[in-house]
Amino acid sequence: MTEVVRIKALDGTLVEFENEVRASGGMKDVYFSPDRRTVVAFFRGQSDQATRERIEVITGAYREKIFGQEGGDYLKGLFRWPTAMVEWNGRLGMVIPFYDSNYFFEHGSKNGDMLGIKGKEKDGKWFASASNRARFLDSRELGDWRTHLQVCLLVSRAVRRMHAAGLAHSDLSYKNVLIDPTSGRACLIDIDGLVVPGKFPPEVVGTPDFIAPEVVATANLDRTNPARKLPSRSTDQHALAVLVYMYLFYRHPLRGDKIHDVDPMVDEELAMGSKALWVENPTDTSNRIDPTKARTAELPWKDTTRIPHTIAGPYLSALFTRAFVQGLSDPTARPTADEWETALVRTMDLLQPCRNPSCEQKWFVFDNTVEPKCPFCGTPFHGMLPVLNLYSSSVEGSFRPDDQRLMVYSGQSLFPWHANRNLVPNEKLRAEFKKRVGYFLFHEEAWYLVNEALPELFDAKTKTAIPVGGRVELVDGGQILLSKENGGRLVVVQLVHST
Amino acid sequence: MRRLPVYIVLDTSGSMHGEPIEAVRQGMQVLVENLRQDPYALETAWISVITFSEEAQQVLPLTELVNFQPPVLDVGGRTSLGAALELLADRMESEVHKASGKKRGDWKPMVFLMSDGVPTDDFERGIERIKLAEAGVVVCCAAGPQASTEVLGRISENVVKLDAADFPYIKAFFKWVSSSISSCSRRVDTQAKETIGLSDLPPPPSEWGASK
Repeated sequence: MTEVVRIKALDGTLVEFENEVRASGGMKDVYFSPDRRTVVAFFRGQSDQATRERIEVITGAYREKIFGQEGGDYLKGLFRWPTAMVEWNGRLGMVIPFYDSNYFFEHGSKNGDMLGIKGKEKDGKWFASASNRARFLDSRELGDWRTHLQVCLLVSRAVRRMHAAGLAHSDLSYKNVLIDPTSGRACLIDIDGLVVPGKFPPEVVGTPDFIAPEVVATANLDRTNPARKLPSRSTDQHALAVLVYMYLFYRHPLRGDKIHDVDPMVDEELAMGSKALWVENPTDTSNRIDPTKARTAELPWKDTTRIPHTIAGPYLSALFTRAFVQGLSDPTARPTADEWETALVRTMDLLQPCRNPSCEQKWFVFDNTVEPKCPFCGTPFHGMLPVLNLYSSSVEGSFRPDDQRLMVYSGQSLFPWHANRNLVPNEKLRAEFKKRVGYFLFHEEAWYLVNEALPELFDAKTKTAIPVGGRVELVDGGQILLSKENGGRLVVVQLVHST
Repeated sequence: MRRLPVYIVLDTSGSMHGEPIEAVRQGMQVLVENLRQDPYALETAWISVITFSEEAQQVLPLTELVNFQPPVLDVGGRTSLGAALELLADRMESEVHKASGKKRGDWKPMVFLMSDGVPTDDFERGIERIKLAEAGVVVCCAAGPQASTEVLGRISENVVKLDAADFPYIKAFFKWVSSSISSCSRRVDTQAKETIGLSDLPPPPSEWGASK
């Protein structure tokens, strides 16, 4: 039996943990509580006053700021936020909630878990690498493209919330963002390194693959040199863009074939720093990946012609272009976490299930072309598909396009935030608005919207009210008013026929 | 993807007979198991094993981690460290890819060398050649009190000392090697530094206190 240590946290709560190091990170040793609901992470060696102050506000004021408000309970799922500061044998530590079981591999690797990773943490690197996915992971661990979009959405939401509170994570990477592609969940960990502009300076420069170019390029300058760039919210924005790109395309946005120097370390420094160049840069093609040089396991993902970033649809494409064309050299051009979140929410509404039952990605963003097909497996889409273009009014009677669409498929749901532009699907959404209000049905060669909870649903073309329990056919050019309230949406139906 | 070549150079002279070599075998097993659970190492690390006793021999050419099978290690004979260093330099020259205008090169290799004794051959030339070979980091492990830290210290300034060439120490050493490779394949410095020193790797076993 391992000895159980019982101590009082700074805030007076009782903290219990088993006196055995269960994991060791770069700076900390981790101990488990007997009930496995929390861990205690102790810094190795002495901690300075600045660290002490930082941990104190992270577990105190900042925690209350983020979780004490509307939506706080929802946000608890997106962070493993330290809850209390402790001291033991002269070492500083903190109590952190344990990860949920879905962040540990259930099946692990192929061939009866040949690598022995079952039960281990789902380090994001497993999922962000085309070759690790294809060669090693059990297919039941991989999730699909929809769950990957959800993962990106939750990561963006968590970062947006931190940034809104005036904090920067400073070391977003696969290591510090746990993801579960099977359920589409994600959560940020290692919060203790967070940066408060002007108050707590960063301690680390970040993790390779995610460090912003300006930080890499100035890493050799002295810390006090004004030209030296250190982690901040805008470097978080670069890391977030890289994470989203990697979780959707399983390749790194800047790791192309261009060679900057024969010395590997200098080459790396230039490729990630002053000479950083997107592998899909629209005008400078010198860093393209040559797919003929890629390994079989890395294809088709390393073939940017087959899987270009544009398959993610218009909202995300625009953000990738800003992040990796202008944003590499101009941090102010980088999309904010809020913009990523909005674009991801809208992109999820453009998804269509692939008709090929053995398609590995299962979902794709429907592009409005004449011959739509799944970009992953190439299976064409046949039939008739309604696209609902959303309009809303700021002045009564006059509707303007919202640059937002909803793709219809059998079983697709309509939610309150589709019916009213003033509702935003995020942590602040009240429970009453989380239930679906309608769904779509294909019946005898026609598409219908079935009204479940829209009291004001109105077919504006035929001037007919559609009662709850009733349904309205979706015809090309049809106009359906979802709500008459302020911000209420008008849907204009576009029917796509594909033969 | 840039490869991270790792050379493990092992003393298999007669004095390693028994517990020490058995500990090395188990250590190699642990090393591979640990690295295979690391998605970074799986993508980048390639491993080779060179042994030296009466002669030096590359018992495993540079092999991708997933295909790595711990080689059979026979013990017996003297301690031809010099021959091992020359062979190591040869193998690095031919196996490690250098960048050309068109082709991406490998990372500079990591070398872990373990010996429990004093070399019995001429090692001056070997030391010269290792100094010239472009290794990223060379760590020498002096296993037990008989190991010549003086000679090992001339090969590299990074010398780890084990109090005894026994199970706990040798296994702790291999565990440390695996975490060094892990953190290297993860972090591979963006700072433009010519070489990596011990301070860039996880704390070596003697500082852990766990193996005592």
